Amino acid sequence: MSNDALIDKLVGDLRPVPRPRLGPQFVTLLILAVVELVGFLALGTIRPDLGAALGRAAFWWKMAGLGILALIGVNVALQSFSPVSLPRKGLRRWGLALTAIVLVGVVIDVAGQGLDGLAARLMWRMGVECLAVMTVLSVPPVIALGYMMRRGAPTDLEASASAVGVAAAAWGAFIFAFHCPSDDPFYIVFWYALGCAAITLVARAILPLTSRW
Amino acid sequence: MSETADQWGQLMAAAQEGHAAAYRRLLDEIRHWLKGFYARRLPPAMVDDAVQDTLIAIHEKRHTYDPERPFKPWLMAVARYKWIDRLRSMSRSRTEELPEEIAVEDHERNVTSSVILARLMTELKPAQAEAIRLVKIEGFSVEEASERTGQSGSLIKVNIHRGLARLAMIVQKQADVE
Repeated sequence: MSNDALIDKLVGDLRPVPRPRLGPQFVTLLILAVVELVGFLALGTIRPDLGAALGRAAFWWKMAGLGILALIGVNVALQSFSPVSLPRKGLRRWGLALTAIVLVGVVIDVAGQGLDGLAARLMWRMGVECLAVMTVLSVPPVIALGYMMRRGAPTDLEASASAVGVAAAAWGAFIFAFHCPSDDPFYIVFWYALGCAAITLVARAILPLTSRW
Repeated sequence: MSETADQWGQLMAAAQEGHAAAYRRLLDEIRHWLKGFYARRLPPAMVDDAVQDTLIAIHEKRHTYDPERPFKPWLMAVARYKWIDRLRSMSRSRTEELPEEIAVEDHERNVTSSVILARLMTELKPAQAEAIRLVKIEGFSVEEASERTGQSGSLIKVNIHRGLARLAMIVQKQADVE
């Protein structure tokens, strides 16, 4: 086909399109998060000792840390769907936030429990269950962000997919944290990091294939 | 160029609202710019396909352009993405089929016209750059390239594959190599 013929075809196919705005996408994701959280808690999953947990610094560290990581991750992911974005910079920001949150966790951990009996504190059976549920809870955001990525025009597919992965993983972990009875920073860093890594790897493997344009 | 680019931004904003005349003018002007862009980055025989591929991408992704921002970086990002895509597809394509498609009589012109590609290739291992230059740019067959370089046929293919993958990675990492 000649360039002239192609341009004729593209012009003939022209339809008005909405301009890119992050606001509606954020609102859509917020609604999804609320629906998922309410649905999860409606299954009777809320931790029974929530009242007592509210008085612990480790609980607030866990909730705030995961919330911040989810918000930064979602922001980096959404920005990365524009062709002019540099998602690797955003991912570095996310990594810095993660490092800071883990360091605060270490301080809380050492101050509260010391470093004794680390292996026993991992509680393997419960940890594996955490990992599984967290992964399931990350599926809706992976699908939603994956769809938005496909609609967008990401030019660094691997980085965008990683951003979707870390955002969805932190999102899933945040929702799961309403159920998880452990506020032990060591336990949380170990198992939640494993879950985040697994989800991010899966997203990075699949999303570049579905979002090529 | 910035004035032109600003004008392109206005045309694209109009196109987003469905103005066909503005869109036609934009695509018509952009195609010449794209031709120059790819002529410096790809073997001549691939330029037209890359231009068309990018025009289609611009059409499909026009909703991602924000009229509040300059148009040129958006266009450059789309064009560069398609360039990387081309480099990757070159490494995936069967080298045996390429010479007839891309061979042209004036090899010298081929090399000099793809000036940015040639500059990027200096960052590759010499054996990789030589294999790519002979087979993908100058249009020699794998066997001919093998005779000229002393590399085996399979090594030529491996060097092309790895070299192009590395080129794509270099371009991806660079904000702009113009």
